[in-house]
Amino acid sequence: MIRNLKYEPRVLMHTKPGKAHPLIQLVLTRKTTILLWLSVVFFFAPILNEVSAQRRFSRNYPATRNVRLQLLNRSGTVEVEGWDRPEISISAYLENPAANIAPQSLSGTIYIDLVKDNQGRNGVGNVNFVIKVPRLSIVDIETRMGNLSVTNINGGLVRAMISTEGDITLTNIGAGAVDAQNGIGDIFFDGEMRSGGHYRFTSIRGNINLRIPFNSSFRLVATAPSTRNISLGSFGNSNMNLLGNGRSVVGRFGNGSSTLTITNHRGSISFIRR
Amino acid sequence: MCLWQNTLKRELRTKMNCGECQKKISVFLDNELDEITSATVRSHLALCAECAKVCEDFAAILESCRLEKPSEILPPNSQALWCRISNTIESEINPGTKSAEVQKSWFGRVWQVSFSQAGSAVLGIALISSLLTVVGIRNYIEPTAEDFTSRTDASQTTIEKVLSKVGLADTPQEARMRRFQEQRAAIEYWNNRAQQRRVQWDNKMREAFDRNLNEIDQAVGEYTTILQQDPQDDLSGEMLDSALNEKMNLLRAFSDL
Repeated sequence: MIRNLKYEPRVLMHTKPGKAHPLIQLVLTRKTTILLWLSVVFFFAPILNEVSAQRRFSRNYPATRNVRLQLLNRSGTVEVEGWDRPEISISAYLENPAANIAPQSLSGTIYIDLVKDNQGRNGVGNVNFVIKVPRLSIVDIETRMGNLSVTNINGGLVRAMISTEGDITLTNIGAGAVDAQNGIGDIFFDGEMRSGGHYRFTSIRGNINLRIPFNSSFRLVATAPSTRNISLGSFGNSNMNLLGNGRSVVGRFGNGSSTLTITNHRGSISFIRR
Repeated sequence: MCLWQNTLKRELRTKMNCGECQKKISVFLDNELDEITSATVRSHLALCAECAKVCEDFAAILESCRLEKPSEILPPNSQALWCRISNTIESEINPGTKSAEVQKSWFGRVWQVSFSQAGSAVLGIALISSLLTVVGIRNYIEPTAEDFTSRTDASQTTIEKVLSKVGLADTPQEARMRRFQEQRAAIEYWNNRAQQRRVQWDNKMREAFDRNLNEIDQAVGEYTTILQQDPQDDLSGEMLDSALNEKMNLLRAFSDL
Protein backbone atom coordinates (compact mmCIF):
# COMPACT_ATOMS: atom_id res chain seq x y z
CA MET A 1 0.00 0.00 0.00
CA ILE A 2 2.85 2.35 0.81
CA ARG A 3 4.30 1.66 -2.57
CA ASN A 4 0.92 2.56 -4.12
CA LEU A 5 0.78 5.89 -2.24
CA LYS A 6 3.86 7.03 -4.08
CA TYR A 7 1.88 6.88 -7.25
CA GLU A 8 -1.08 8.89 -5.87
CA PRO A 9 0.22 12.45 -5.28
CA ARG A 10 -3.29 13.87 -5.08
CA VAL A 11 -3.98 12.12 -1.83
CA LEU A 12 -0.87 13.55 -0.22
CA MET A 13 -1.71 17.07 -1.50
CA HIS A 14 -4.67 17.28 0.90
CA THR A 15 -2.59 16.49 4.00
CA LYS A 16 -2.50 19.18 6.65
CA PRO A 17 0.93 20.19 7.89
CA GLY A 18 2.01 18.48 11.22
CA LYS A 19 -0.57 15.71 11.00
CA ALA A 20 -0.30 12.37 9.14
CA HIS A 21 -2.79 11.55 6.47
CA PRO A 22 -5.70 9.37 7.74
CA LEU A 23 -4.87 6.67 5.26
CA ILE A 24 -1.29 6.55 6.45
CA GLN A 25 -2.53 6.46 10.02
CA LEU A 26 -4.77 3.53 9.13
CA VAL A 27 -1.89 1.71 7.52
CA LEU A 28 0.35 2.34 10.48
CA THR A 29 -2.31 1.12 12.91
CA ARG A 30 -2.90 -2.05 10.87
CA LYS A 31 0.80 -2.67 10.58
CA THR A 32 1.11 -2.68 14.36
CA THR A 33 -1.78 -5.09 14.63
CA ILE A 34 -0.30 -7.34 11.98
CA LEU A 35 3.05 -7.29 13.71
CA LEU A 36 1.40 -8.13 17.00
CA TRP A 37 -0.43 -11.06 15.43
CA LEU A 38 2.70 -12.30 13.71
CA SER A 39 4.64 -12.20 16.97
CA VAL A 40 1.90 -14.21 18.70
CA VAL A 41 1.87 -16.79 15.94
CA PHE A 42 5.66 -16.95 15.94
CA PHE A 43 5.72 -17.49 19.70
CA PHE A 44 3.09 -20.24 19.83
CA ALA A 45 3.84 -21.87 16.51
CA PRO A 46 6.28 -24.54 17.78
CA ILE A 47 3.83 -25.55 20.51
CA LEU A 48 0.92 -25.68 18.13
CA ASN A 49 3.03 -27.56 15.63
CA GLU A 50 4.07 -30.06 18.30
CA VAL A 51 0.49 -30.60 19.32
CA SER A 52 -0.72 -31.07 15.79
CA ALA A 53 2.24 -33.36 14.80
CA GLN A 54 1.80 -35.91 17.61
CA ARG A 55 -1.13 -38.16 18.10
CA ARG A 56 -1.49 -40.39 21.10
CA PHE A 57 -2.63 -43.96 21.04
CA SER A 58 -3.46 -45.72 24.27
CA ARG A 59 -4.84 -49.13 25.05
CA ASN A 60 -4.90 -51.60 27.95
CA TYR A 61 -5.19 -55.37 27.83
CA PRO A 62 -5.79 -57.80 30.70
CA ALA A 63 -2.87 -60.19 30.87
CA THR A 64 -1.71 -63.34 32.55
CA ARG A 65 1.53 -63.31 34.49
CA ASN A 66 3.60 -64.73 31.66
CA VAL A 67 2.04 -62.91 28.74
CA ARG A 68 4.10 -62.38 25.60
CA LEU A 69 4.60 -58.97 24.02
CA GLN A 70 5.71 -59.03 20.42
CA LEU A 71 6.37 -55.64 18.91
CA LEU A 72 7.84 -54.68 15.56
CA ASN A 73 8.31 -50.96 15.10
CA ARG A 74 9.54 -49.06 12.04
CA SER A 75 11.24 -46.14 13.72
CA GLY A 76 11.04 -44.46 17.09
CA THR A 77 11.83 -45.34 20.67
CA VAL A 78 10.39 -48.23 22.61
CA GLU A 79 10.34 -48.35 26.41
CA VAL A 80 9.08 -51.47 28.10
CA GLU A 81 8.75 -51.63 31.84
CA GLY A 82 7.69 -54.47 34.11
CA TRP A 83 5.04 -53.75 36.73
CA ASP A 84 2.98 -55.69 39.26
CA ARG A 85 -0.42 -55.34 37.62
CA PRO A 86 -1.93 -58.19 35.61
CA GLU A 87 -2.39 -56.04 32.54
CA ILE A 88 -0.51 -54.55 29.63
CA SER A 89 -0.67 -50.84 29.05
CA ILE A 90 0.36 -49.55 25.65
CA SER A 91 0.89 -45.87 25.00
CA ALA A 92 2.17 -44.72 21.65
CA TYR A 93 3.04 -41.23 20.48
CA LEU A 94 2.71 -41.02 16.75
CA GLU A 95 4.56 -38.37 14.81
CA ASN A 96 3.32 -37.12 11.48
CA PRO A 97 2.65 -38.65 9.08
CA ALA A 98 1.00 -40.83 11.69
CA ALA A 99 1.46 -44.54 11.35
CA ASN A 100 -1.39 -47.03 11.40
CA ILE A 101 -1.36 -49.05 14.57
CA ALA A 102 -3.57 -52.06 15.27
CA PRO A 103 -2.45 -54.20 18.22
CA GLN A 104 -3.88 -57.68 18.43
CA SER A 105 -4.31 -59.96 21.39
CA LEU A 106 -4.18 -63.61 20.40
CA SER A 107 -3.93 -66.55 22.79
CA GLY A 108 -1.84 -64.86 25.43
CA THR A 109 0.29 -62.77 23.07
CA ILE A 110 -0.02 -59.09 22.27
CA TYR A 111 1.12 -58.43 18.71
CA ILE A 112 1.98 -55.00 17.38
CA ASP A 113 3.41 -55.01 13.87
CA LEU A 114 3.87 -51.54 12.45
CA VAL A 115 5.78 -52.82 9.45
CA LYS A 116 2.85 -54.93 8.34
CA ASP A 117 0.27 -52.32 9.31
CA ASN A 118 2.02 -49.66 7.20
CA GLN A 119 3.37 -51.67 4.33
CA GLY A 120 3.53 -49.80 1.04
CA ARG A 121 3.16 -46.36 2.62
CA ASN A 122 5.57 -43.66 1.57
CA GLY A 123 7.03 -42.06 4.66
CA VAL A 124 5.69 -42.88 8.09
CA GLY A 125 6.50 -40.81 11.16
CA ASN A 126 8.24 -42.13 14.25
CA VAL A 127 6.18 -44.03 16.76
CA ASN A 128 7.41 -43.78 20.35
CA PHE A 129 6.09 -46.49 22.62
CA VAL A 130 5.80 -46.64 26.39
CA ILE A 131 4.59 -50.10 27.36
CA LYS A 132 4.03 -51.61 30.79
CA VAL A 133 3.81 -55.35 31.19
CA PRO A 134 3.72 -57.87 34.07
CA ARG A 135 7.23 -58.63 35.33
CA LEU A 136 7.18 -62.27 34.22
CA SER A 137 6.29 -61.40 30.66
CA ILE A 138 8.14 -62.55 27.58
CA VAL A 139 9.30 -59.44 25.78
CA ASP A 140 10.20 -59.58 22.11
CA ILE A 141 10.73 -56.15 20.58
CA GLU A 142 12.28 -55.12 17.32
CA THR A 143 12.64 -51.88 15.45
CA ARG A 144 14.29 -50.79 12.25
CA MET A 145 15.65 -47.64 13.87
CA GLY A 146 15.53 -46.06 17.32
CA ASN A 147 16.42 -46.81 20.92
CA LEU A 148 15.04 -49.74 22.85
CA SER A 149 14.79 -49.92 26.61
CA VAL A 150 13.55 -52.78 28.79
CA THR A 151 13.35 -52.61 32.57
CA ASN A 152 12.27 -54.90 35.43
CA ILE A 153 11.59 -58.07 33.49
CA ASN A 154 12.05 -61.56 34.94
CA GLY A 155 10.26 -63.71 32.40
CA GLY A 156 11.50 -66.42 30.11
CA LEU A 157 12.90 -64.23 27.36
CA VAL A 158 13.92 -60.69 26.55
CA ARG A 159 14.75 -60.09 22.92
CA ALA A 160 15.63 -56.63 21.69
CA MET A 161 16.74 -56.05 18.15
CA ILE A 162 17.52 -52.92 16.17
CA SER A 163 18.14 -53.45 12.47
CA THR A 164 20.18 -50.27 12.05
CA GLU A 165 20.93 -47.56 14.59
CA GLY A 166 19.97 -47.20 18.20
CA ASP A 167 21.01 -48.05 21.73
CA ILE A 168 19.69 -51.01 23.66
CA THR A 169 19.37 -50.58 27.42
CA LEU A 170 18.32 -53.55 29.49
CA THR A 171 18.14 -52.83 33.22
CA ASN A 172 17.14 -54.99 36.14
CA ILE A 173 16.64 -58.04 33.97
CA GLY A 174 16.37 -61.55 35.39
CA ALA A 175 15.17 -63.35 32.30
CA GLY A 176 16.17 -66.90 31.43
CA ALA A 177 17.29 -65.88 27.96
CA VAL A 178 18.40 -62.53 26.60
CA ASP A 179 19.14 -61.69 23.00
CA ALA A 180 20.17 -58.13 22.18
CA GLN A 181 21.32 -57.15 18.73
CA ASN A 182 21.90 -53.85 16.96
CA GLY A 183 23.83 -52.28 14.11
CA ILE A 184 25.42 -49.02 15.17
CA GLY A 185 24.85 -48.24 18.84
CA ASP A 186 25.61 -49.28 22.38
CA ILE A 187 24.22 -52.22 24.30
CA PHE A 188 23.97 -52.07 28.05
CA PHE A 189 22.82 -55.00 30.15
CA ASP A 190 22.31 -54.78 33.88
CA GLY A 191 20.86 -57.93 35.34
CA GLU A 192 21.30 -61.44 36.62
CA MET A 193 22.17 -64.56 34.73
CA ARG A 194 20.06 -67.59 35.50
CA SER A 195 21.53 -71.05 35.70
CA GLY A 196 20.92 -72.79 32.39
CA GLY A 197 20.18 -69.48 30.69
CA HIS A 198 21.39 -68.26 27.30
CA TYR A 199 22.61 -64.71 26.83
CA ARG A 200 23.68 -63.24 23.51
CA PHE A 201 24.74 -59.72 22.64
CA THR A 202 25.71 -58.73 19.12
CA SER A 203 26.64 -55.39 17.64
CA ILE A 204 28.33 -54.12 14.49
CA ARG A 205 29.80 -51.01 16.03
CA GLY A 206 29.31 -49.65 19.51
CA ASN A 207 30.12 -50.53 23.09
CA ILE A 208 28.71 -53.58 24.75
CA ASN A 209 28.68 -53.20 28.52
CA LEU A 210 27.47 -55.91 30.87
CA ARG A 211 26.87 -55.26 34.53
CA ILE A 212 26.35 -58.55 36.32
CA PRO A 213 26.74 -59.90 39.86
CA PHE A 214 30.07 -61.42 40.81
CA ASN A 215 28.39 -64.70 41.74
CA SER A 216 27.31 -65.17 38.12
CA SER A 217 28.25 -68.39 36.41
CA PHE A 218 28.75 -68.68 32.66
CA ARG A 219 30.69 -70.09 29.77
CA LEU A 220 31.92 -67.15 27.73
CA VAL A 221 32.73 -66.58 24.09
CA ALA A 222 33.48 -62.89 23.60
CA THR A 223 34.78 -61.67 20.25
CA ALA A 224 35.83 -58.18 19.24
CA PRO A 225 38.03 -58.80 16.20
CA SER A 226 38.52 -55.25 15.04
CA THR A 227 39.29 -53.40 18.28
CA ARG A 228 40.45 -56.41 20.37
CA ASN A 229 39.08 -54.38 23.24
CA ILE A 230 37.65 -56.97 25.61
CA SER A 231 37.72 -55.97 29.26
CA LEU A 232 36.70 -58.72 31.67
CA GLY A 233 37.27 -56.61 34.79
CA SER A 234 36.61 -58.68 37.91
CA PHE A 235 35.55 -61.62 35.81
CA GLY A 236 38.97 -62.33 34.38
CA ASN A 237 40.50 -65.57 35.69
CA SER A 238 42.78 -68.39 34.73
CA ASN A 239 39.93 -70.23 33.02
CA MET A 240 39.70 -67.50 30.41
CA ASN A 241 41.81 -67.93 27.28
CA LEU A 242 42.69 -65.40 24.64
CA LEU A 243 42.31 -66.65 21.10
CA GLY A 244 43.29 -65.25 17.72
CA ASN A 245 45.85 -62.78 19.09
CA GLY A 246 43.40 -61.30 21.54
CA ARG A 247 40.48 -61.02 19.15
CA SER A 248 38.44 -63.45 21.22
CA VAL A 249 38.16 -64.58 24.83
CA VAL A 250 36.82 -68.03 25.58
CA GLY A 251 36.45 -69.54 29.02
CA ARG A 252 34.40 -70.26 32.07
CA PHE A 253 33.45 -68.22 35.08
CA GLY A 254 32.04 -69.98 38.14
CA ASN A 255 30.76 -73.41 37.27
CA GLY A 256 29.68 -72.27 33.81
CA SER A 257 26.00 -72.98 34.23
CA SER A 258 24.82 -70.48 31.61
CA THR A 259 26.13 -69.50 28.18
CA LEU A 260 27.19 -65.99 27.28
CA THR A 261 28.07 -65.11 23.71
CA ILE A 262 29.15 -61.59 22.83
CA THR A 263 30.16 -60.43 19.37
CA ASN A 264 31.11 -56.90 18.54
CA HIS A 265 32.53 -56.59 15.05
CA ARG A 266 33.93 -53.10 15.31
CA GLY A 267 33.46 -52.10 18.94
CA SER A 268 34.41 -52.94 22.51
CA ILE A 269 33.19 -55.35 25.19
CA SER A 270 33.30 -54.55 28.90
CA PHE A 271 32.27 -56.37 32.06
CA ILE A 272 31.29 -54.42 35.14
CA ARG A 273 30.82 -55.99 38.55
CA ARG A 274 27.37 -55.30 39.94
CA MET B 1 -24.69 -190.16 18.27
CA CYS B 2 -21.19 -189.10 19.00
CA LEU B 3 -20.24 -189.58 15.49
CA TRP B 4 -23.16 -187.50 14.35
CA GLN B 5 -22.26 -184.65 16.71
CA ASN B 6 -18.65 -184.65 15.61
CA THR B 7 -19.73 -184.51 12.00
CA LEU B 8 -22.03 -181.52 12.67
CA LYS B 9 -19.25 -179.66 14.49
CA ARG B 10 -16.94 -180.12 11.58
CA GLU B 11 -19.63 -178.92 9.20
CA LEU B 12 -20.37 -175.76 11.16
CA ARG B 13 -16.70 -174.93 11.60
CA THR B 14 -16.19 -175.20 7.92
CA LYS B 15 -19.20 -172.98 7.32
CA MET B 16 -17.58 -170.07 9.30
CA ASN B 17 -13.89 -169.68 9.98
CA CYS B 18 -12.49 -167.84 13.04
CA GLY B 19 -11.72 -164.56 11.26
CA GLU B 20 -15.24 -164.18 9.99
CA CYS B 21 -16.64 -165.06 13.35
CA GLN B 22 -14.53 -162.51 15.26
CA LYS B 23 -15.55 -159.78 12.82
CA LYS B 24 -19.18 -160.50 13.54
CA ILE B 25 -18.93 -160.93 17.31
CA SER B 26 -19.60 -157.26 18.06
CA VAL B 27 -22.68 -157.22 15.86
CA PHE B 28 -23.74 -160.59 17.27
CA LEU B 29 -23.62 -159.27 20.81
CA ASP B 30 -25.74 -156.31 19.76
CA ASN B 31 -28.34 -158.78 18.37
CA GLU B 32 -28.20 -157.20 15.02
CA LEU B 33 -27.42 -160.26 12.92
CA ASP B 34 -30.05 -162.18 11.00
CA GLU B 35 -31.16 -165.50 12.45
CA ILE B 36 -29.17 -167.76 10.19
CA THR B 37 -25.88 -165.87 10.62
CA SER B 38 -26.53 -165.53 14.30
CA ALA B 39 -27.06 -169.31 14.56
CA THR B 40 -23.88 -169.91 12.59
CA VAL B 41 -21.86 -167.61 14.91
CA ARG B 42 -23.39 -169.18 17.95
CA SER B 43 -22.55 -172.64 16.66
CA HIS B 44 -18.98 -171.59 15.88
CA LEU B 45 -18.57 -170.12 19.35
CA ALA B 46 -19.82 -173.29 20.89
CA LEU B 47 -17.23 -175.32 19.08
CA CYS B 48 -14.27 -172.83 19.01
CA ALA B 49 -12.71 -171.94 22.38
CA GLU B 50 -10.55 -169.15 20.95
CA CYS B 51 -13.46 -167.26 19.42
CA ALA B 52 -15.54 -167.89 22.54
CA LYS B 53 -12.81 -166.17 24.56
CA VAL B 54 -12.93 -163.13 22.27
CA CYS B 55 -16.67 -163.06 22.58
CA GLU B 56 -16.44 -163.17 26.37
CA ASP B 57 -14.05 -160.24 26.32
CA PHE B 58 -16.37 -158.22 24.14
CA ALA B 59 -19.29 -159.07 26.34
CA ALA B 60 -17.39 -158.00 29.45
CA ILE B 61 -16.53 -154.63 27.87
CA LEU B 62 -20.09 -154.06 26.86
CA GLU B 63 -21.29 -154.97 30.28
CA SER B 64 -18.95 -152.54 31.98
CA CYS B 65 -20.08 -149.82 29.59
CA ARG B 66 -23.63 -150.42 30.53
CA LEU B 67 -22.91 -150.29 34.23
CA GLU B 68 -20.68 -147.17 34.32
CA LYS B 69 -21.99 -143.57 33.95
CA PRO B 70 -21.15 -141.94 30.57
CA SER B 71 -19.29 -139.03 32.27
CA GLU B 72 -16.92 -141.50 33.91
CA ILE B 73 -16.15 -143.24 30.70
CA LEU B 74 -15.83 -140.19 28.45
CA PRO B 75 -12.72 -138.03 28.94
CA PRO B 76 -13.18 -134.28 29.61
CA ASN B 77 -13.71 -132.38 26.38
CA SER B 78 -14.04 -135.47 24.32
CA GLN B 79 -14.60 -133.47 21.17
CA ALA B 80 -11.15 -131.86 21.44
CA LEU B 81 -9.64 -135.23 22.14
CA TRP B 82 -11.25 -136.66 19.05
CA CYS B 83 -9.97 -133.77 17.01
CA ARG B 84 -6.45 -134.38 18.26
CA ILE B 85 -6.74 -138.07 17.58
CA SER B 86 -8.11 -137.35 14.13
CA ASN B 87 -5.27 -134.93 13.34
CA THR B 88 -2.68 -137.38 14.56
CA ILE B 89 -4.15 -140.12 12.46
CA GLU B 90 -4.28 -137.89 9.41
CA SER B 91 -0.72 -136.76 9.84
CA GLU B 92 0.39 -140.34 10.20
CA ILE B 93 -1.56 -141.35 7.16
CA ASN B 94 -0.29 -138.49 4.85
CA PRO B 95 2.93 -137.05 6.32
CA GLY B 96 4.48 -136.05 2.93
CA THR B 97 1.39 -134.34 1.59
CA LYS B 98 0.96 -132.11 4.65
CA SER B 99 4.52 -130.79 4.83
CA ALA B 100 4.50 -130.21 1.08
CA GLU B 101 1.42 -128.07 1.47
CA VAL B 102 3.02 -126.01 4.22
CA GLN B 103 6.16 -125.53 2.20
CA LYS B 104 4.18 -124.52 -0.82
CA SER B 105 2.17 -121.89 1.01
CA TRP B 106 5.30 -120.40 2.61
CA PHE B 107 7.27 -120.25 -0.59
CA GLY B 108 4.20 -119.08 -2.44
CA ARG B 109 3.94 -115.98 -0.25
CA VAL B 110 7.54 -114.98 -0.80
CA TRP B 111 8.10 -115.85 -4.39
CA GLN B 112 4.73 -115.12 -5.92
CA VAL B 113 5.96 -111.90 -7.57
CA SER B 114 6.72 -111.08 -11.11
CA PHE B 115 10.26 -110.42 -12.31
CA SER B 116 9.58 -106.72 -12.80
CA GLN B 117 8.17 -106.45 -9.28
CA ALA B 118 11.21 -108.17 -7.84
CA GLY B 119 13.47 -105.87 -9.87
CA SER B 120 11.64 -102.77 -8.66
CA ALA B 121 11.87 -103.96 -5.08
CA VAL B 122 15.62 -104.50 -5.38
CA LEU B 123 16.09 -101.10 -7.01
CA GLY B 124 13.96 -99.44 -4.32
CA ILE B 125 15.95 -101.04 -1.55
CA ALA B 126 19.22 -100.01 -3.20
CA LEU B 127 18.01 -96.43 -3.68
CA ILE B 128 16.74 -96.06 -0.12
CA SER B 129 19.86 -97.56 1.41
CA SER B 130 22.14 -95.32 -0.68
CA LEU B 131 20.07 -92.26 0.23
CA LEU B 132 20.22 -93.16 3.89
CA THR B 133 23.98 -93.63 3.60
CA VAL B 134 24.46 -90.25 1.91
CA VAL B 135 22.23 -88.46 4.43
CA GLY B 136 23.97 -90.20 7.30
CA ILE B 137 27.42 -89.28 6.04
CA ARG B 138 26.40 -85.70 5.30
CA ASN B 139 24.82 -85.28 8.72
CA TYR B 140 27.87 -86.74 10.30
CA ILE B 141 30.26 -84.60 8.34
CA GLU B 142 28.32 -81.43 7.72
CA PRO B 143 27.48 -79.50 10.87
CA THR B 144 24.35 -77.45 11.28
CA ALA B 145 24.41 -73.78 10.35
CA GLU B 146 25.01 -72.80 13.93
CA ASP B 147 27.76 -75.33 14.44
CA PHE B 148 29.38 -74.34 11.20
CA THR B 149 30.90 -71.23 12.66
CA SER B 150 32.81 -73.28 15.19
CA ARG B 151 33.99 -75.86 12.65
CA THR B 152 37.74 -75.93 12.33
CA ASP B 153 40.52 -78.23 11.23
CA ALA B 154 41.19 -79.06 14.85
CA SER B 155 37.61 -80.09 15.55
CA GLN B 156 37.50 -82.44 12.55
CA THR B 157 37.21 -86.10 13.41
CA THR B 158 39.52 -88.69 11.89
CA ILE B 159 36.77 -90.06 9.69
CA GLU B 160 36.02 -86.58 8.41
CA LYS B 161 39.68 -85.99 7.64
CA VAL B 162 39.93 -89.29 5.78
CA LEU B 163 36.78 -88.57 3.80
CA SER B 164 38.04 -85.08 2.99
CA LYS B 165 41.31 -86.46 1.67
CA VAL B 166 39.55 -89.09 -0.39
CA GLY B 167 37.32 -86.37 -1.79
CA LEU B 168 34.04 -87.67 -0.42
CA ALA B 169 33.62 -84.74 1.93
CA ASP B 170 34.52 -81.06 1.99
CA THR B 171 37.35 -79.72 4.08
CA PRO B 172 36.29 -77.02 6.57
CA GLN B 173 37.68 -74.38 4.21
CA GLU B 174 35.75 -75.77 1.27
CA ALA B 175 32.59 -76.01 3.36
CA ARG B 176 33.11 -72.44 4.47
CA MET B 177 33.56 -71.21 0.92
CA ARG B 178 30.44 -73.03 -0.15
CA ARG B 179 28.53 -71.42 2.69
CA PHE B 180 29.82 -67.97 1.78
CA GLN B 181 28.68 -68.48 -1.79
CA GLU B 182 25.22 -69.41 -0.57
CA GLN B 183 25.11 -66.38 1.70
CA ARG B 184 26.23 -64.07 -1.10
CA ALA B 185 23.51 -65.44 -3.35
CA ALA B 186 20.93 -64.78 -0.64
CA ILE B 187 22.33 -61.29 -0.08
CA GLU B 188 22.00 -60.50 -3.77
CA TYR B 189 18.38 -61.59 -3.73
CA TRP B 190 17.49 -59.51 -0.66
CA ASN B 191 19.50 -56.57 -1.91
CA ASN B 192 17.44 -56.47 -5.10
CA ARG B 193 14.26 -56.51 -3.10
CA ALA B 194 15.48 -53.81 -0.71
CA GLN B 195 16.53 -51.57 -3.61
CA GLN B 196 13.05 -51.86 -5.10
CA ARG B 197 11.54 -50.65 -1.83
CA ARG B 198 14.12 -47.96 -1.24
CA VAL B 199 12.10 -45.18 -2.86
CA GLN B 200 9.41 -45.62 -0.24
CA TRP B 201 11.71 -44.90 2.70
CA ASP B 202 12.18 -41.42 4.05
CA ASN B 203 15.60 -39.76 3.98
CA LYS B 204 16.37 -40.56 7.60
CA MET B 205 15.71 -44.23 7.04
CA ARG B 206 17.73 -44.29 3.83
CA GLU B 207 20.72 -42.69 5.49
CA ALA B 208 20.61 -45.06 8.47
CA PHE B 209 20.37 -48.03 6.13
CA ASP B 210 23.35 -46.88 4.07
CA ARG B 211 25.48 -46.17 7.12
CA ASN B 212 24.84 -49.60 8.58
CA LEU B 213 25.35 -51.38 5.30
CA ASN B 214 28.62 -49.55 4.87
CA GLU B 215 29.70 -50.55 8.37
CA ILE B 216 28.94 -54.20 7.69
CA ASP B 217 30.69 -54.06 4.33
CA GLN B 218 33.80 -52.71 6.00
CA ALA B 219 33.78 -55.59 8.46
CA VAL B 220 33.23 -58.07 5.62
CA GLY B 221 36.13 -56.50 3.74
CA GLU B 222 38.46 -56.82 6.72
CA TYR B 223 37.64 -60.46 7.30
CA THR B 224 37.93 -61.29 3.61
CA THR B 225 41.37 -59.70 3.44
CA ILE B 226 42.57 -61.66 6.47
CA LEU B 227 41.21 -64.88 5.01
CA GLN B 228 42.92 -64.26 1.71
CA GLN B 229 46.20 -63.90 3.57
CA ASP B 230 45.54 -66.80 5.89
CA PRO B 231 42.80 -69.21 4.79
CA GLN B 232 43.35 -71.21 7.98
CA ASP B 233 42.22 -68.30 10.19
CA ASP B 234 39.06 -69.86 11.54
CA LEU B 235 38.15 -66.92 13.71
CA SER B 236 37.97 -64.61 10.71
CA GLY B 237 35.96 -67.27 8.94
CA GLU B 238 33.48 -67.31 11.79
CA MET B 239 33.30 -63.53 11.87
CA LEU B 240 32.83 -63.28 8.13
CA ASP B 241 29.99 -65.76 8.40
CA SER B 242 28.44 -63.68 11.17
CA ALA B 243 28.86 -60.39 9.28
CA LEU B 244 27.31 -61.82 6.13
CA ASN B 245 24.39 -63.01 8.23
CA GLU B 246 24.03 -59.51 9.65
CA LYS B 247 24.00 -58.07 6.17
CA MET B 248 21.41 -60.54 5.00
CA ASN B 249 19.20 -59.79 8.02
CA LEU B 250 19.48 -56.05 7.44
CA LEU B 251 18.53 -56.35 3.78
CA ARG B 252 15.69 -58.69 4.57
CA ALA B 253 14.36 -56.36 7.27
CA PHE B 254 14.37 -53.43 4.89
CA SER B 255 12.90 -55.29 1.98
CA ASP B 256 9.61 -55.39 3.91
CA LEU B 257 9.43 -51.67 4.55
